[in-house]
Amino acid sequence: MKLLALIKKEFYRFFHDPKLIVTILLPGIIIFLIYNVIGAFMNETEPVNYDYKVCVAGTSATSGAFTALVGEAVKESDSKVEFTVSTAEEGKAAVEKGEADACLVFSENFGEAAGGSVEIYYDGARDASSSFYGIASAVLQASAMRFAVVGHNFETTENLGKTVFAGLLPFLVAIFIFSACMSVTLESVAGEKERGTLATILATSAKRHEIALGKILPLSCISALGAASSFLGVALSLPKLVGTGFGVLGGYAFGHYALLFLLILSIVPLIVSAIACVSTLSRSVKEASAYTSVIMILVMVVSILSIFLSSLGNWYVAVPVLNAVISMGKVLGGELAIWQSLVSVGANLLYTALLVFLISKMFSSERIMFGK
Amino acid sequence: MDDIFQDEIVRAEGLKKVFTLSRKQQKIEKTGLTRKVAVDGLSFSAYRGEIYGLLGPNGAGKTTTLRMLSTLIKPDGGDAYILGHSILKEPAMVRDCVGFLTSELKLEAFFTPDYLFDFFGAMHGVDKDTLASRKKELFSRFGIDRFAQVKVGDLSTGMKQKVSLVISIVHDPDVLIFDEPTNGLDVLTAKVVTDFLAELKGMGKSIILSTHIFSLVEKLCDRVGVIIDGKMAQEGSLQALCGEKSLEERFFEIYHSLKGEIV
Repeated sequence: MKLLALIKKEFYRFFHDPKLIVTILLPGIIIFLIYNVIGAFMNETEPVNYDYKVCVAGTSATSGAFTALVGEAVKESDSKVEFTVSTAEEGKAAVEKGEADACLVFSENFGEAAGGSVEIYYDGARDASSSFYGIASAVLQASAMRFAVVGHNFETTENLGKTVFAGLLPFLVAIFIFSACMSVTLESVAGEKERGTLATILATSAKRHEIALGKILPLSCISALGAASSFLGVALSLPKLVGTGFGVLGGYAFGHYALLFLLILSIVPLIVSAIACVSTLSRSVKEASAYTSVIMILVMVVSILSIFLSSLGNWYVAVPVLNAVISMGKVLGGELAIWQSLVSVGANLLYTALLVFLISKMFSSERIMFGK
Repeated sequence: MDDIFQDEIVRAEGLKKVFTLSRKQQKIEKTGLTRKVAVDGLSFSAYRGEIYGLLGPNGAGKTTTLRMLSTLIKPDGGDAYILGHSILKEPAMVRDCVGFLTSELKLEAFFTPDYLFDFFGAMHGVDKDTLASRKKELFSRFGIDRFAQVKVGDLSTGMKQKVSLVISIVHDPDVLIFDEPTNGLDVLTAKVVTDFLAELKGMGKSIILSTHIFSLVEKLCDRVGVIIDGKMAQEGSLQALCGEKSLEERFFEIYHSLKGEIV
């Protein structure tokens, strides 16, 4: 009953204050608008008409129908395409040499009920090759049939679409989550401590862990709302910004989205608890903001490092925040990293529980709560 | 001893509190000492249906004593019992039978008196029906019903104090600990508060009141403890303590005998 009253109070405080709602939801809307505007300027170039040369290997009646579909899509973009039947090796060599823009390799069972796959070899460094890959992958992914589309990029750096999502988005998500958590937690914990209203709650018979949970649970929900707003703002505007189109988003299955959701869900209470810990230790919101900035820098560094550390061992699943960021990167890169993601979620929840325990101990400490 | 004083509700036994002084605090206190004994072996008792006054100058240890009794801070020595519950061993039980009013405990400016009364009622585990009837009774008694839906931040000092008072007794505690309850109030609100304290006493509540206002002690308190430098300098009923003198005269006599000239 006491925990419920504490939770309801935090929600009441948030949902009855339009300023707080705006603070938490506005970043997502602003990000969406800004990225779209920037994307519109960046991609505002004259349409280029290409004359694609594409090798096709492993042809069959079904694959023929698909190449025809790709051909139509190319025509719609006022370009031309010339398909040449070849072996997979010849086709790949031609792409590497720059003699062909792409090579489509259909598996033997392509078009059968079991699925099958089509591999697209292209060179992301060349505009024509990259452009054809974009059209072909979008057409093939839009197909109702079940088969896998695998892109092979000969470019030394990874292709832009999923790479941006896999590399940049987890970093941005971590930062947005942090910002959302910071704005609500600082005010609710450090603010209440500074104003002396937390002491009034401590003077009641509510247990300290109830008071700690009564802060962390609702603040996590509110922060998750803010993080979701920012995440949607980025996810919906990034394709426009990098000019890949929404085909990239369609490339993820339900499992990918479920794992992403779980990872975000695990990182929010962890960051809220960490900021609440610092806020409880601080004497004022100003002091808490200064300490929180240090944590934010740590989170940023960890998130940036995650781009370079992803090829290392699985030890990262034990490192808070880093585990979620790397797992998100893997998931957004197309890998269904189930066990890494689930262990990361578990580890983050464990750290959250430890922090909640620590906060309840701090609430019992008169030096921390009432020290001058 | 009168019958009314037979029930010992509050018993403090050698309460001691030592604070570590920061450099900044050392400067303010103009001392080189790193530790300050705020309360030094304080013992006293308060009985059912009496108002016990803690009288002393600023920094004497009154507020620290009350904070210990309300379990906000722990004593470094000694213990105190509220209705038999130790403040050291059963702080949650103590909080449920104590109502604490002090300027240190603030109410969130965003909320209305109506919301806060319900919230703190829930925090003390008061059931909804009891809470509703207490709210009706207390809000009407203090005229809070006129501004029950106004945010605390928009209320005057007197209104805020009334709301704080009402919320401190939301759970109908047997023991009331009031730290300077009339400080900063206009005469009208101060009278409402003092009248209510007398009313609570009549209801059999035990009240521990800290103040440095002599007239308030003379008007309300059955017994008085004079605290100087964290120690109990004198204690007793007003009659026993003052005899034919006024409380003010007697207080300065005690102070002078212990501290010398007043500077």
